[in-house]
Amino acid sequence: MISKMKILFAMVLLCIVLENNAAVITINDQSQQGQANAVVWLTPNTRLDATSDEQTFTMAQKDRQFTPHILVVEQNSQVEFPNADSIMHHVYSFSKSKSFELKLYREQPQAPITFDKTGVVELGCNIHDWMLGYIVVVDSPFYGITNDQGQLSLDVPQGDYTLNVWHEGFSDISSTESQALVIANNDVSYQLKQKVTPRIAIAVDEFDEYE
Amino acid sequence: MNNLIRLVTFFCLTAAINSYAQVKGLIQVSAVKGDSQPSWQEGGLGLYRYDSNNDGIVLSQGVLDFSIDLNSAWSAHGVVNVYQDPQLTLGFSQAYFQYKPLSSSKYKWHIRAGGFYPLLSLENPDKGWLSPYNYTNSAINSWVGEEIRTLGVEATIKRPGRRFNSAHSFSFVGATFKGNDPAGTLLAWRGFAMHDRQTTFNESIAFAPVTSLNTPQLQFQANQVLPFEEVDGRFGYYAGVHWDYLKKSQFRFYYYDNNGDPAALNKSTGQYAWDTRFSSAAWLYKFTANTRFITQMMSGSTAMGTKRGVNNRFYSHFVLVSHKMAKHRISIRYDYFEVTDHDDWLFDPNASEGEGITATLRYQLTPQWQLGIEGSALHSQADNRAAINSPKNISQQQISLNVQWRY
Repeated sequence: MISKMKILFAMVLLCIVLENNAAVITINDQSQQGQANAVVWLTPNTRLDATSDEQTFTMAQKDRQFTPHILVVEQNSQVEFPNADSIMHHVYSFSKSKSFELKLYREQPQAPITFDKTGVVELGCNIHDWMLGYIVVVDSPFYGITNDQGQLSLDVPQGDYTLNVWHEGFSDISSTESQALVIANNDVSYQLKQKVTPRIAIAVDEFDEYE
Repeated sequence: MNNLIRLVTFFCLTAAINSYAQVKGLIQVSAVKGDSQPSWQEGGLGLYRYDSNNDGIVLSQGVLDFSIDLNSAWSAHGVVNVYQDPQLTLGFSQAYFQYKPLSSSKYKWHIRAGGFYPLLSLENPDKGWLSPYNYTNSAINSWVGEEIRTLGVEATIKRPGRRFNSAHSFSFVGATFKGNDPAGTLLAWRGFAMHDRQTTFNESIAFAPVTSLNTPQLQFQANQVLPFEEVDGRFGYYAGVHWDYLKKSQFRFYYYDNNGDPAALNKSTGQYAWDTRFSSAAWLYKFTANTRFITQMMSGSTAMGTKRGVNNRFYSHFVLVSHKMAKHRISIRYDYFEVTDHDDWLFDPNASEGEGITATLRYQLTPQWQLGIEGSALHSQADNRAAINSPKNISQQQISLNVQWRY
């Protein structure tokens, strides 16, 4: 019992310590409402030491949708594309930062793909054309996606940064918005310069693939 | 047709060495309590697939569905069906190549070439053109499954809504084909039926001993139909449009014309080319993710003979409601069907009419195993039954317990 209390205390302490280093960033739309699902990353103005190991991320296809819908990865990360469905998917991208195609079967996983250029990679499936997903490749370890309130919390050292924002509802999905900012002991908010078009959600089931 | 199958098989085998094939199978075994009226499959007047002679366990579906990637854009597809009724049969019901290139354009297009179904139906989206709703297909799609198949080339251009951030998607389909000249024969001498027995390429379907086939005017007509045969050497065509709203509402309209020359006859097989054309409109609407409504209407005409001695119009519709509750799915369908006679050959009455109701409960035990029970009742009348010493009006029922296994 005592040891459990100790662990709990340690966890609370850890949370407090982390919170002290976390910057809460709020992204607002043009009517000052929190903008959900905005991808945010902070690029340090002073060059960081080369970051740690390359990470492997996952962009799955499940129930005939990309899961997650938006994946943010640091440059040079590897992404696996496991197919959890019993049917084939034919995933492709024509985006400048990464152009590729993969025929994917559950029984035959393919080697991961390295995303070595920054930018927005738009994913489609040549068989299920309602499937749409994004991989946002960023040059920073400080990134995240805003929640329903338009907020995200980033554990980031104090200093000068460039704030970058991308949303799939931008009229040019290869563009980002940027602004210089200082991270001190303050929360930050940013208002988008452009209107965000709501994304169309298409709910499908196992019988909708019969085109 | 044999050559086509050989060609597809050859390509598939060659391709299988270098590329990936996906093979899916389904076996469905049924315990059936059939009607006393002998089935059309046995030369009877009954409109169900089974009759009391089949009572017991039957292999109702055996499906092998394969897709083979030949390269990024080309793939080969086939469906092999095995049936034990009316006799043991193994054959292809579909075999085609598909060319679907990757394109950076927001518009998508693809081509199918070979033997396949026009995608008229929203009732048959499961593997091997089966229905996930009722086991017994609607009258419309029972007929499509037995007498309609494209042996040709079909092109589709699609404007996917997702790529335009629009809730609406549109596809435009056009096809031209050979074969399928005798389509319509069954409607004239049997009328619509209700079953899930698809016709494989090269198969024939016999009909009841219709008295008028013994007359001099119809002496060359065989007592069976080879629905996919080429008789007149002419190309048929169809055109269709699909309109989806968020996949919540799906609408399809097709116009089909086999462009048959009704005077053309193949004496050796006893098959005429029928001038068969129809319009089909199908609509699926999801009230919720679990409850959907499906309807289809088909209206058309068919004629054979130098002076269009057999000249009929046909019409059918169904409404289907299906609801899914966790592992259960219940589906109820009402069918109406009719054939009206528009020629002056009084010795060959073709008019028929009927309606049916079918209720199905399925239980998905595991992703592989499914159990289901179905009850169906129909009432029909046909003018040509009197001459075979049978009542014009028949009421029938069929009950089945089904076990389905897929991999």
